[in-house]
Amino acid sequence: MLKNYLLLAWRVLLRRRFFTAISLFGISLTLVVLMVATALLDHTFAPMAPEVRQDRTLVIFNGTLVGPHSTWRDGAGFQLIDRYARNLSNVERVAMISFPEDVFSYPGGTRVQSSLRRSDAEYWRILDFEFLEGGPFADQDVRNGSRVAVINAATRDRFFGAAPAVGRWIDADGQRFRVVGVVANVSASRPVSTGDIFVPYTTAKTDAYKTRLLGGFMGILLGRSPADLPGIKAEFASRVASAPMPDKDYEHLYAPAETYFESVAADTFGQRNDDTTRAERLWIAIVGAALLFLLLPTVNLVNLNVSRIMERASEIGVRKAFGASTGTLVTQFIVENVMLTLLGGAIGFVLSAVALKAITAAELIEHARLAINGRVFLYGLGLSLVFGLLSGVYPAWRMARLNPVAALKGVGR
Amino acid sequence: MIRHLLRIVWNRRRANALIALELLLSFLVLAAVVTMAVYLLDNYRQPLGFVYEDVWSVRIAMNVIDAPGGGALPENAPARRAERLNTLMGLLRDMPEVVSVSPVNDAPYSQSSWESEVDVGGRRYTFSANRAGDQFAATMRLTVTRGRWFDASDDGAAWEPVVVNERLARELFGGQDPVGRTIQPDPPKDATEPAASAMRVVGVISDYRKAGEFSPQSNWLFYRTSLGPSTRVFGLPRYFVVRAKPGTQAAFEARLVERLNTSAPDMSFRARPLVLARATMLRGDLPVLAAYALVAAFLLAMVVLGLTGVLWLTVTQRTREIGLRRAKGATIRDIRHQVLGEVLVIATAAVAAGIVIVAQFPLLDVVATISTGVYAAGLVISVACIYLLSIACAWAPSRLATSLPPAEALRYE
Repeated sequence: MLKNYLLLAWRVLLRRRFFTAISLFGISLTLVVLMVATALLDHTFAPMAPEVRQDRTLVIFNGTLVGPHSTWRDGAGFQLIDRYARNLSNVERVAMISFPEDVFSYPGGTRVQSSLRRSDAEYWRILDFEFLEGGPFADQDVRNGSRVAVINAATRDRFFGAAPAVGRWIDADGQRFRVVGVVANVSASRPVSTGDIFVPYTTAKTDAYKTRLLGGFMGILLGRSPADLPGIKAEFASRVASAPMPDKDYEHLYAPAETYFESVAADTFGQRNDDTTRAERLWIAIVGAALLFLLLPTVNLVNLNVSRIMERASEIGVRKAFGASTGTLVTQFIVENVMLTLLGGAIGFVLSAVALKAITAAELIEHARLAINGRVFLYGLGLSLVFGLLSGVYPAWRMARLNPVAALKGVGR
Repeated sequence: MIRHLLRIVWNRRRANALIALELLLSFLVLAAVVTMAVYLLDNYRQPLGFVYEDVWSVRIAMNVIDAPGGGALPENAPARRAERLNTLMGLLRDMPEVVSVSPVNDAPYSQSSWESEVDVGGRRYTFSANRAGDQFAATMRLTVTRGRWFDASDDGAAWEPVVVNERLARELFGGQDPVGRTIQPDPPKDATEPAASAMRVVGVISDYRKAGEFSPQSNWLFYRTSLGPSTRVFGLPRYFVVRAKPGTQAAFEARLVERLNTSAPDMSFRARPLVLARATMLRGDLPVLAAYALVAAFLLAMVVLGLTGVLWLTVTQRTREIGLRRAKGATIRDIRHQVLGEVLVIATAAVAAGIVIVAQFPLLDVVATISTGVYAAGLVISVACIYLLSIACAWAPSRLATSLPPAEALRYE
């Protein structure tokens, strides 16, 4: 039966090639926009090297101090991580790394801009960086405040051409560091692992950071298993809730251990509490935006489909006269439409790959290598199906309701 | 004629409603993009208020250690820090390339902003605030339109000297001369809060659109920075702005940072030319706009093709009706006008609904920075585009309608 439908659908597509081309144009470009958006979201939020243990990782991105008259929101501070995030149960490792900071260097009199991050040695054990040369700095380097640095490939190119960098020196922020390792570039859309120069946090120019509850750092917690994360969140939240206030202006401290997606949700839907529905709301907002965007293409395709049904009025009349039920006809038409959208989806995949390549080449996001992976492919397939169903239901219903007698005459109404 | 058209459109209301819906959605997409474009172009035409060429901004991070329980240690008292900054400024001024130097709280093209408000006579005035030194107007080449910029005569004044931009001056004082006028904030409602001190306007500048050419005009108010024994912690600048002689190269920047680093190894300095800061800011804005415009262009191309297809099919189905009209003496022009007229009636319905929706934005003041004039211009352009688009879509089908001789058309199946 399905084979018949597909064969029939194919014939219909070939009958009026101009209209099929118009439909496919709209469908494929619609899906390109959605697939590129999906690839960008995937690139930002999904597990990706070096964040390969993302399923059991939580990050303390920031803290918010709330008082009756003022609110202070900032990155997590050294004290917040050092005092409250250590020795949580079921946490295997705790790392901290500063937020990226732009620094300028002047090798040979030209300006080089890099993003500098100061971290501990645990950072290199939680994240799985690909080392092109050398290795990470060790706990001892951090304890001694050694002036050593891990740099990424782009920084190596900027400072030394493509020549090996380990053992050579770079100046950054008025300090001089010896390069001990070179890692592969990480996309700027990954706040936890992106960076050009990584140095021990103890090389900071003063100990000012050690006195701060908020500001400058993010803490990274590696749980023993994904199932432990809710427990870790709760335990950390209860510790933070009972933390003494640094200042009499404030009454509450919120500092959730969360995923990056949850952190973005908090930025979008309010940061003052530990509302757990925010991530779901962000999901709904993303899906809602996609549906809103689909509205116009859907109406466009529905219009085309409704018009084309009238062409087939006599065929429908014959099928009805021979006893085809409304359900059969609706199914047939939806199958036809889904087939059309899947065809458009296939073209869309090819065009998306080209578009993503262009975005990658234009370096719109630094070091991003955008591509269609398995996840994005599945989402794209799902989007094509949804689009096909949305735009097929109304025309199918109109078609099935045609009066058989009028339809046989080819009148259509 | 019009009544006749209306009746024909009404008779096919179900199919026409779908076309109207498609045009309405297109109109909304167009209105959003066109209004944004008009808004940005309108901003672009306004004077910037300062000259960014040959100016470097130097971000100063002081890495100050807090005393236990908050506040600064004695060696970090604001007056001591102010003295150090004065020394650093002297070092910069001594460089042969430097024309002038000024401390400022927030440099042009920085990502941060300081929004403030004051209640005067029961009315609330909101403005962007900044705090700058006596040389700031000369360094940034601000246009002082009335009065003067800050100078040594403001030392020890009983009031807080301020400079406002013309927009805020108009809002505060109407057409009267603002120079020498006092801004007396209302006493706070909550008696426990300290009363805001009186401000006196010493001068008016044309504008200071810190966020660059595409940013909206806003109210500006400058406080004075004077680095001395009476400097308080919030009076400390976060930037120096340095004007160099024209044609100064990046090597100057390297020497400048070197000088600062050597003198204050515990602080961090980031120098960059405003030309670069400006380019970075534009690079952040423009791809987003380009993406919106691209998506909108694609949606409209899809609508044009889709509607052409729908109208084409509609005309084909009505071949016999058209043949009858021709047989009864209608000219080719009459038929073409009818096809176009029907589409224009549908477009008018869509545009009317669209205007009602879009008009809510200025009426409810959803985006406060967009003026009614910009909305109106965006609306007019969008309406014109929709009519053009409808005519373009109906053009080929209207020719098709008259391509068959009446006798053929009458027996068309």
